[in-house]
Amino acid sequence: MTCDQVKEHIADYLAGALSQTEAEELDEHFAQCAACKQETAALSETWEMLGLLESEQLSAQPSAQLRPRFYESLEAYRHGLESAAPAPARRRFFDWGWQGWAWSAALLVGGLAAGHWLGQGARGRADLAGLQDEVHHMRQLVTLSLLEQQSASERLRGVDYSSRVDQSDTQVLAALLHAVNHDPNVNVRLAAVDALRKFAGNPAVQGTLDQSLVKQDSPLVQLALIDFIVDQRDKGALPSLTALERSPTVDKNVKEKALWGLSQLQ
Amino acid sequence: MPETRADNVLMQKVRDGDLAKMAVLFERHHRALFRYFLRLTGQREFSEDLVQDVYFRMLKYRHTYRDGNPFTSWMYQVARNAHLDGARKRKGESPFLEEQMQEPVSAEPDPSEILRRRQDLGLLRRALAALPVEKRELLVLSRFQNLKYDQIADILACDVGTVKVRVYRAIKALSQIFFELAGDKAS
Repeated sequence: MTCDQVKEHIADYLAGALSQTEAEELDEHFAQCAACKQETAALSETWEMLGLLESEQLSAQPSAQLRPRFYESLEAYRHGLESAAPAPARRRFFDWGWQGWAWSAALLVGGLAAGHWLGQGARGRADLAGLQDEVHHMRQLVTLSLLEQQSASERLRGVDYSSRVDQSDTQVLAALLHAVNHDPNVNVRLAAVDALRKFAGNPAVQGTLDQSLVKQDSPLVQLALIDFIVDQRDKGALPSLTALERSPTVDKNVKEKALWGLSQLQ
Repeated sequence: MPETRADNVLMQKVRDGDLAKMAVLFERHHRALFRYFLRLTGQREFSEDLVQDVYFRMLKYRHTYRDGNPFTSWMYQVARNAHLDGARKRKGESPFLEEQMQEPVSAEPDPSEILRRRQDLGLLRRALAALPVEKRELLVLSRFQNLKYDQIADILACDVGTVKVRVYRAIKALSQIFFELAGDKAS
């Protein structure tokens, strides 16, 4: 291997992509050429230090605003496409003879009348329903994505965003219930309890929160849950409230609130 | 399904009208793109704007995505163009600001060793910032974004041999600047 050939192989050498034969040829050259050996060693050192910068780079995270900015842009772009969709067969309209114009005028009048009486047509309703579905899907994606983030402030944004999804959305409901039961941050759990009020009529909510009540280690969340349970008139929670009221380890304020809850539901 | 192939399929779906799939591609790649731009520009806010621009461009030019074209290479081609256009618009406004990069967190117990390493990495950051952007880009793609030389060849539209020679020249230039800075500091 010549000195020029060594230079051609340095990139592979640094990336650890040399074949066994190439590595052996390079070693043989280094045994005879101190200049190439020295240069390669210096470049390897710089390459390794770049690796340390790479690990530093991994800690660099974009701000919390980037994600919502993207989703809002995506949603806006999709809306823009929907509203800019061209009307079909427009080009041929001007090729019609007078009969065509007459028919079109008649249809226009007829259509206006029908529109007046019937409101939006079936196709309009279908288009609107499709658009609503897409918007809902996008909001669901944003909510679920934010609720899975490592940063508590982003999960709080997710809880806040959940108010924009339909109350029949079982995936978002499940994510909120999961947040109430398992989120390590008290503020997120409290916000999730509030957000569940939107889903109050859903049977999945009733019968779940009384279990959550017993599991909670934060008195603040327990107080919020008792309020919610009483508002729901959830009598299935009576045993859990009784257990809380009698427990010697539970916070005094929670015990008093549980007693109040029992008096309200019994 | 390997992630790269899954990305290709997702992008095909976006191209064919299922725009919501772009959200999945965003979740998979926006951090890597942000770091790519941060290494190139040294500016966090500008880097975030560029990430946003890349996804907008991928939506706008989705019809140019071809079946079988690796998504990652295509995405970085779009990212390069976004960076070139963004840098052109900002020309003269703000050069590379290497001080905006974060200091590394070291687990070394020896304070003098920590200090020496920090000084070295500080010099290396300055050297990287002083490198011409086309050389810096090659090192960012190969060392930080961990792309293979054939992927970089796709992105730069050249052959693999050319990429290897350019990587050699880039690391050599970086090394020279670094040792010059270290020499200035020592003298």
